[in-house]
Amino acid sequence: MNNPLFTTRRDFLRTTLLGGALTWTVPSFVAQTFSALHAEADGALTQVATGKDSPILVLIQLAGGNDGLNAVVPYTNDFYYNARPTISIPANQILPLNDSLGLNPAMTGFKSLFDAGHLSIVNGVGYPNPNRSHFRSTEIWQTASDEDKYLTDGWLGRYFDNACQGCDPTIAVNIGPRLPQAFASHSPTGISLENPDSYRFIGSGKNDDETVAYRSMYTPNPDENVFETGGNSGGSVSMVSGTVTLQNGQSALDFLERTSMDAKVSSDKIREIAGKTPDNSKYPASGLAKNLQLVARLIGGGLPTRIFYVSQGGYDTHTGQRGGQDARLRELGDALKAFTDDLTAMNHFDRVMIMTFSEFGRRVHENGSQGTDHGAAAPMFLIGANMKQGLLGAEPSLDPTDLKDGDIQYNTDFRSVYASILQQWLKTNPLPILGEPFPTLPIVT
Amino acid sequence: MNRAGFGGTPADIETLRKMGLYRAVSWFVDYDKIPDPTPAPDWAHPDPDIIARREAIRNAADPETRRMLQQQQNQEQTSQIADLRYWWIRRMALGSRPFQEKMTLFWHGHFATSFEKVQMPYFLWLQNETFRQNAIGNFNQLLVAASEDPAMLIYLDGANSHKDAPNENFAREVMELFTLGEGNYTEQDIQQAAKAYTGWGLSKDRLRYEYHPGNHDEGPKTVFGQTGNYTGEDVLNMICQKPECAPFITKKIWRFFAQDQPPPPIVDALSHEFLAHNFDLKHLMRAIFQSKEFYAPDVIRSQIKSPVQWLIACTHQLQAPLPTEPMSLVMLRQLGQDLFQPPNVKGWDGGIAWVTTNNLLDRDNFAAALVEGNRVPLPGLLGQMRGLLNSMAEDGLMQIAPVDVTALFTAGDLSSPYSFLEALQARFLNAELKPQRLASFTEFLKARSPIEETDIRKSIRLIMCTPEYQLT
Repeated sequence: MNNPLFTTRRDFLRTTLLGGALTWTVPSFVAQTFSALHAEADGALTQVATGKDSPILVLIQLAGGNDGLNAVVPYTNDFYYNARPTISIPANQILPLNDSLGLNPAMTGFKSLFDAGHLSIVNGVGYPNPNRSHFRSTEIWQTASDEDKYLTDGWLGRYFDNACQGCDPTIAVNIGPRLPQAFASHSPTGISLENPDSYRFIGSGKNDDETVAYRSMYTPNPDENVFETGGNSGGSVSMVSGTVTLQNGQSALDFLERTSMDAKVSSDKIREIAGKTPDNSKYPASGLAKNLQLVARLIGGGLPTRIFYVSQGGYDTHTGQRGGQDARLRELGDALKAFTDDLTAMNHFDRVMIMTFSEFGRRVHENGSQGTDHGAAAPMFLIGANMKQGLLGAEPSLDPTDLKDGDIQYNTDFRSVYASILQQWLKTNPLPILGEPFPTLPIVT
Repeated sequence: MNRAGFGGTPADIETLRKMGLYRAVSWFVDYDKIPDPTPAPDWAHPDPDIIARREAIRNAADPETRRMLQQQQNQEQTSQIADLRYWWIRRMALGSRPFQEKMTLFWHGHFATSFEKVQMPYFLWLQNETFRQNAIGNFNQLLVAASEDPAMLIYLDGANSHKDAPNENFAREVMELFTLGEGNYTEQDIQQAAKAYTGWGLSKDRLRYEYHPGNHDEGPKTVFGQTGNYTGEDVLNMICQKPECAPFITKKIWRFFAQDQPPPPIVDALSHEFLAHNFDLKHLMRAIFQSKEFYAPDVIRSQIKSPVQWLIACTHQLQAPLPTEPMSLVMLRQLGQDLFQPPNVKGWDGGIAWVTTNNLLDRDNFAAALVEGNRVPLPGLLGQMRGLLNSMAEDGLMQIAPVDVTALFTAGDLSSPYSFLEALQARFLNAELKPQRLASFTEFLKARSPIEETDIRKSIRLIMCTPEYQLT
């Protein structure tokens, strides 16, 4: 570290390559090369967090606003039954967790995970001054911002920037058609994948000259000086309502080049790994289960991914809630049971944690259409082999005098859950990622 | 041509260029002068038997019969929605009024509803016609029409809202997504407005809109600080009068037609025009297409093609027929734009959200199928739909004929790699490749003289795999 040349170079790299807008357009592995130098110089701060034995976090977004009260039911609480004359769940149908809370009868998968000691439920999770817009509240959860602040990067994007900058693009894998805003970061990271069989460039004939030409279009030109960026000021990805959009100074073409490059770099590896683990384990027929099955195959095959992202929709139950939400929760619980069984059989369960989240819970009182309108705080589910089994966070009061605008008030800030996961599971300092300290919960044994 | 419509051949573009800006814009915008004889799908009318069939399902003698009847109904709806999707794609690609269809597509994404919840394809067709008829009319009238449309009443639960317990779904989204934007209203405005919308509903046979005075909350409501016994239409008119409404719509339109990040001065100027002409959309669109900002270098070719734009523009550039119905629909679904089934009430996000590593690879591989026809094996390309596709393939529905690529270039174009590359870029990009990719093409073509049909084919496919090709 005393070598002045090295220091200069390190500073040079930090200011021009890794710190600036250039990272947007530089292919991942070029950035990675420099990142390795950077990491060497900077020690733990930029430790490259890959490796086959590293912990993995699987996020499951429950899109639409999952009603917490009909999922984790306060089955001895008269306020609950009074507020929901047609859609409450009778106490005798509940799958009890303790003498006041129990699960929706459709959640048998969750119940067996709970009984096996693999499920933690964090009660009453939310944030101050809750926003009831799907899109704004999703954005708040994805960026881990205060209600009145608009952040550009996702909370996992900031984790990538802090802990694994310049990593292989497969460090973060989204199973689905749209990259989540949570991944948006200063140096964009992560791939989207739906079907590993088609995740490649398919040449048209026996002679593979077409593939050769295709590849050459994305191979970085050694003569191109990657340090010359002109007057491009340090930009990042800007988001509108849960979506990655371009910010001034970046072009759609830059984004396309970068994505093409990441597609090319990741496609060979994905296919190789998916090929190692055939999909022969038993999963339910739902789309969610199929997606979790793909995650299990990628984990089993050794993809160096730290974050997987899967989503399930259908929770916006303004009408006929019992039919809709119960079916979604059953699908979710059954898929999770199959997924954790599969991971256990492959001896990978002990390095996987699953976290569910939804943009908000729903109003305590049902509306006139056997449904519920947008609300606030709700429980979160954390699943893993080494979880502190049980119920965390204070159970929220349903006493009408304690409600705010008809909504449950939160007891645990969602960023406390994020902070706990970052610190206890991903083994990184949450402060630079969340920007301010949040009290943590004991989630891992 | 690309932005007001869905692209064209070099000859089409040349015809338009010769008209000059004023006449070309008029050709698009004054489309009511062009006849459009497209007939409605033959099932697109209220189905008087639907009540009887629903009753039959409900009263089925045993669960087995009920399941069978329900399945029949689902199959019919699935086949109608597929029919409707292809009917619209054909109209966009081949119809006489491309701009009217482009605008209809914009409104479909703006006032988004989905087959998943609405289920009745007839209602989705009806709503599509509402958008088409009002595509460049008065925005306030369109807002009222779209709000009272059966598809919207079902999708955002208006049809289930009652004065005793108003449903807030529509009341929230109409302000957040359709008119004002988040932050420009209060929770109280939503709850009070929800009361005003009560009474809107469907007729007993659930085939058309009907007002139910008994369901309407007659009491006073306080919205935006004003109190009165408002109806739903009153509140929609009040929303339009809010200063945020015109800029919100103008910005979204500029974003759809021109540029991902609309500069505030442009939105300001255009929304003043829009307001001064009492929400006349035709006036606004003419102003946009005639503005010099619309043709600024950083605006032209700055957008990522939507999947619909990508598919239709491909067929024009290749001078090829649209792929068959199942093939077209499968491609659009895989690329993330299932018509009549946007991801949520916000519609499609557009912009760079169209592109992920996965669907860029899909675009590259579909390009091969379009250019080479079924000579290209597409192993596992279509994921979970493979079973369905195999059965369709047996019926010959998945056939794509190889493009007659020699018809796309003159002998002069093919006389040298250099001139070929020029012609290739002119037809498929209307712009130049970046130097590195130009070098790849030069390398690819250098040993190929004369340029054979198979070289042309591969070159077309390759240019369709460039980042530049994804822009419009």
